[in-house]
Amino acid sequence: MPKLVIDNREVEVENGSTVLDAAEKLGIEIPTMCFLKGYKASTSCMACVVKVEGVDGLVPACGTIAEDGMSVQSDSEQVRDARKAALELLLSDHVGDCVGPCQAICPAGMNIPLMIRQIAAGKLREAIATVKRDIALPAVLGRICPKPCERGCRRGALDGAVSICLLKRYVADIDLQSAKPYLPSCKPAQNKRVVIVGAGPAGLAAAYYLRQQGYECTLLDEHEEPGGMLRYGVPEEELERDVLDKEIASIEKLGAKFQGRTRIDTEVSMEKLRRDYDAVFVAVGEIKAGVPESIGLEAGPNGIAIDGKTYQTNLPGVFAGGDAVRKRRSTVRAVADGKEAAVSIGQYLSGEEVTGPDKEFNTRIGKLEDGEIEGFMAYADRAARVTPSQKGDGFTDEQARAEAVRCLHCDCRKAQGCKLRQYAQDYGAKPGRYKGRRRLFVQQVQHPDIIYESGKCIDCGLCIQIAAKAGEKLGLTFIGRGFDVRMAVPFERSMAEGLENAAGQCVAACPTGALAFKENSETTSQK
Amino acid sequence: MDKEDLTFVDQAVENIGAGQEKVLEILQAIQGHYGYLPEEALERTCELTEITPASIVGVSTFYSQFRHRPAGRYMIRVCIGTACHVKGGQQVYDSFQRYLSIPEGDDTDTEKMFTVEKVACLGCCMLAPAIQIDDITYGHLSSEQVPAVLRDFLEQERARAQQMEEPYYAKADRELGEIRICLDSSCVASGSARVYEALKKAVKQTSARAVVKSVGCLGMSFLAPIVEVVLAGGASFRYARVRPDDARAIVLRHFKPKKIGPKIKNAISTILDKILTDKAWEPVTRYSVDVRDRSVADFMDRQRHIATEHCGHIDPVSLDEYIRYDGFKALEKCVNELSGEKVITEIEHSGLRGRGGAGYPTYLKWSAVHNSDSEKKYVICNGDEGDPGAFMDRMLMESYPYRIIEGMAIAAYTVGAEEGNFYIRAEYPLAIERVSKAINDCRERGFLGDNILDRGFSLHLKIVAGAGAFVCGEETALLASIEGRRGMPRLRPPYPVVSGLWGKPTLINNVETYAVVPWIIRNGPEAFAALGTSGSKGTKVFALAGKVARGGLIEVPMGISIGRIIEDIGGGIAKGLRFKAVQVGGPSGGCVPAQLRATPVDFETLTDVGAMMGSGGMVALDESDCMVDIARYFLEFTQNQSCGKCTFCRIGTRRMLDILERLCAGEGRKTDIEELEHLAWMIKNTSICGLGKTAPNPVLSTIKYFRDEYEAHLEGRCPAGKCKALITYSVTDDCIGCTLCAQHCPADAIRMQPYETHEIDADKCIRCGTCKGICPVEAIKVE
Repeated sequence: MPKLVIDNREVEVENGSTVLDAAEKLGIEIPTMCFLKGYKASTSCMACVVKVEGVDGLVPACGTIAEDGMSVQSDSEQVRDARKAALELLLSDHVGDCVGPCQAICPAGMNIPLMIRQIAAGKLREAIATVKRDIALPAVLGRICPKPCERGCRRGALDGAVSICLLKRYVADIDLQSAKPYLPSCKPAQNKRVVIVGAGPAGLAAAYYLRQQGYECTLLDEHEEPGGMLRYGVPEEELERDVLDKEIASIEKLGAKFQGRTRIDTEVSMEKLRRDYDAVFVAVGEIKAGVPESIGLEAGPNGIAIDGKTYQTNLPGVFAGGDAVRKRRSTVRAVADGKEAAVSIGQYLSGEEVTGPDKEFNTRIGKLEDGEIEGFMAYADRAARVTPSQKGDGFTDEQARAEAVRCLHCDCRKAQGCKLRQYAQDYGAKPGRYKGRRRLFVQQVQHPDIIYESGKCIDCGLCIQIAAKAGEKLGLTFIGRGFDVRMAVPFERSMAEGLENAAGQCVAACPTGALAFKENSETTSQK
Repeated sequence: MDKEDLTFVDQAVENIGAGQEKVLEILQAIQGHYGYLPEEALERTCELTEITPASIVGVSTFYSQFRHRPAGRYMIRVCIGTACHVKGGQQVYDSFQRYLSIPEGDDTDTEKMFTVEKVACLGCCMLAPAIQIDDITYGHLSSEQVPAVLRDFLEQERARAQQMEEPYYAKADRELGEIRICLDSSCVASGSARVYEALKKAVKQTSARAVVKSVGCLGMSFLAPIVEVVLAGGASFRYARVRPDDARAIVLRHFKPKKIGPKIKNAISTILDKILTDKAWEPVTRYSVDVRDRSVADFMDRQRHIATEHCGHIDPVSLDEYIRYDGFKALEKCVNELSGEKVITEIEHSGLRGRGGAGYPTYLKWSAVHNSDSEKKYVICNGDEGDPGAFMDRMLMESYPYRIIEGMAIAAYTVGAEEGNFYIRAEYPLAIERVSKAINDCRERGFLGDNILDRGFSLHLKIVAGAGAFVCGEETALLASIEGRRGMPRLRPPYPVVSGLWGKPTLINNVETYAVVPWIIRNGPEAFAALGTSGSKGTKVFALAGKVARGGLIEVPMGISIGRIIEDIGGGIAKGLRFKAVQVGGPSGGCVPAQLRATPVDFETLTDVGAMMGSGGMVALDESDCMVDIARYFLEFTQNQSCGKCTFCRIGTRRMLDILERLCAGEGRKTDIEELEHLAWMIKNTSICGLGKTAPNPVLSTIKYFRDEYEAHLEGRCPAGKCKALITYSVTDDCIGCTLCAQHCPADAIRMQPYETHEIDADKCIRCGTCKGICPVEAIKVE
């Protein structure tokens, strides 16, 4: 039985074991994508490279037989650099969007494709939860949002973007009209108090998310009623006041307190607020020159100076967001600021390091090649964009359903199960590091249950091995060689013929979103 | 599409067999019959054999020999090997595409007459740029000769249709004089087959007391076709660059005709002398050579023939003659006098290292297999010479098939193997034909088969024809290929000596390694070790090509300097241009710059200077060659030849190529050189096989020695005037207004203006170089 050393720790393994087995025995995690227990190591992805002393270069742990006296390093700088480079090279030829371009462009980062699938599936209660996870005032925004998401929609290049904004309004309106509008659950009280200066969109959003974390929230505003510019700036024809009232009411129902006619500096000083509360969020809207300094805050060219990632001002425990910190005014941005600042404030209050919201790793296809859009159409309804009967109206149930099935499902079906994305995040890989010629985006949808997006395949060959072992008649194979090598069903047949029995196994083993179930609980449920 | 008649498939499977390992052979048969691989034929094969659809599709798309759509009636294969590349192979390819009006993205003209394909290397680098139409090779082409080539081919086709003749191998006879001519692929490409036919005809017509005999190649490709006349008394005369028209005159000069009067004979002789000496009459195309001729003496003197022993005398396909020249003496000595251990000691003392590229000590491999206690063992000869710019193995297999077989038999005896394979790339049909004849001859005479030389030892050899995949030269990929799988290398260990073909211990050596073994056994290891350097013993065969004046196959003692090879043997750079570098080792090797001409050729030193012995291709480059373009050329090759398994090799080489293409297009970015180096080291450090580990070498070595050229490309300049996007063609005042350029410009970029200075329309110009090639007064400027 060979004895070897990995990262200075000794381990003894069975004859014929690999370095990967040995590491596992020690509890050392080595990333793998192309390896699956019970199948032949294909030593393809190179995410598992390690350094073996006395051997030139690096070797893949999954296929290297553990030998007596071997000394292995699994986490040196050289190893990490190589793993990162392997991931970046794979990403340079990985044609897929982890999240839809609509979601990527949305300042609030709302999971739009998921909402749309929930609408299509008639799961409106789940849809409103999806919406409100990122947008505290969806009925309001469903009327006045400048809709950057629809500019990002890939279908715009073909026959008009999906009417995302109206779909969101539809979800929110149905919810507000329901007997019991959606209310998120709140964590138990944390016995910490936050004061929010300004009850406009940013402040209201911050309150909505801070309450969910269990913090007491008090909203101060110079006006008599909450809403800020939504109430005192936006014309009533654009935003019916009862819609605004209802959405604010739901925030109050979560436990946020409102105190009108209270202006900072005149009615209450910053010093007092900092004394009386555990944290302060300044969301006073557009701010005139000189005002930030007057309340003790540093100013920047766009208003109050903040750390762009954490919303922290120069004063400890004082955060700022919304139009008070930006030149370009936008309600959706303000709502996003409120949500993100709430994360930082929560970190501050719980004594954690204040880093702001985690940034998720995402790959993007970016600009499509000519004709590539057709690849996305394989799974979408080809009907034209639906418009409400009258300008200013929302969708009917039928219209919403019809519009929802136009969505191309650009977001990855395995955004949460993708090893490539996970390791890219872990290793800080940059998806644009090695830009160059790439393959095209293609969807094969003939299989009843699964979809194959060859652009996302990393040529690991696991599905090929699985299909062969499962005794598939046609099975799968590699076609071609070199950079152009692709996994496919022999004789250009469909996946349905290639994978008669082993489809589920292949989806489970696929380290990326190349093979995925078409629709399942995952693709219409919030994680 | 009409349904193909599939009875052929049934027959082919019946003849070939139904095992997985037969897949390449079956596919080759199907393609030979239908011209491509019809899907129905593949499905039928799956029904009849144990080959699965996944396997047959995977295999048939891996090897570049196979086509999945119908081809034209004739197949034009344009060589884009290194030597052809530097001499304008791409332009020739473009010219065929243009002339045949092949639609973009297609490879066959609309009449379905010709299909034009690029091939990695035809192995006739001295004829660069070379092409093959079906089995006829044309060399030294330029883009404007394309129409003439097609005309010539069609004429020959017509002639061939009228007269079919069986191949003929002359029997030697001491009573007669001999007229020797080499019929290996590259000499045939220079026209030797037609000269051979003409000589036979002339001998018959004049009843001359001579036999016309095909012999092993002299290697002097720069003078091919060479005819050597050896009279019964031993006197010999050589003629170079002979044409079929000369055959009769040559025969008449040396062999007294019975039916011809002295007067006529005299007249013929005079004509002959005139042809061969009169400088006014096509002086460069042919002339008489003689060993006293300086160029021949220089070409030959520095050489030492071991693998190529008896070059130029011995009939490649006559076992009798091989035996007469001490053939199979070494095998006899081994089986009668030496134990396996003793043979290994002899090989160890000779210092022989593998000639395939890596230079691993041969005796270590032999003893590893010898020491294994497995019942079953294999020997394999690796003849998958895929490097563009290399043709050593082809020439050895075509000229000395018995010698290689003897080497293999000695190895098999030593390690205890009873079965073996000759893996030969499909691009070498003549090598396959000759080796298979040689195997049959040896079997008939008891040098192969059961109970060899009555010593109870057996060896059965089979030929496996590769199908166009450079990576199959890598030993684990080669094994996969023999087993009928995609040629994917695997992680080593285990090494093939432990777990090789079908999981059994397997000895894999290169053609040249086996070819020197009989000499070592016959002459003793000391004689071999006396040649070469301390670490690299004996001789090495190189394929010398590119911009040298005299290219060909050479065998030199290890340790000879690069300068000696290029300047003395190769006669320096042709056309009076400056020697810039020599590319050694093909896609695994690197460029040794002119200032390092003193570098001795041995395994370690070549690696130290950033090149590599590789299998022994040497392509000389001159000042008109762009080093960034050379690096791009090799990366394009490896990128395409990578099996596609490992991330770094599959995508990394593509990213390096992206950068090099950018540089050659004048769109480089400041960080590109560092980025190339970064990727290069990543790929070298992580690849599991030799292809990946060495693929970045051509880039690293050119950056090392020619960084200034890379920097110039960053600034949008190509100092050598090679990169199309960075150069312009213009006409200088030297123009005499002959209109030749205008007549030949394929892009109509030059207007015809008789007696006036012409002009090139830069927007229309496709930078094909036709005008520069055709201008009689060198009035075309490239900058």
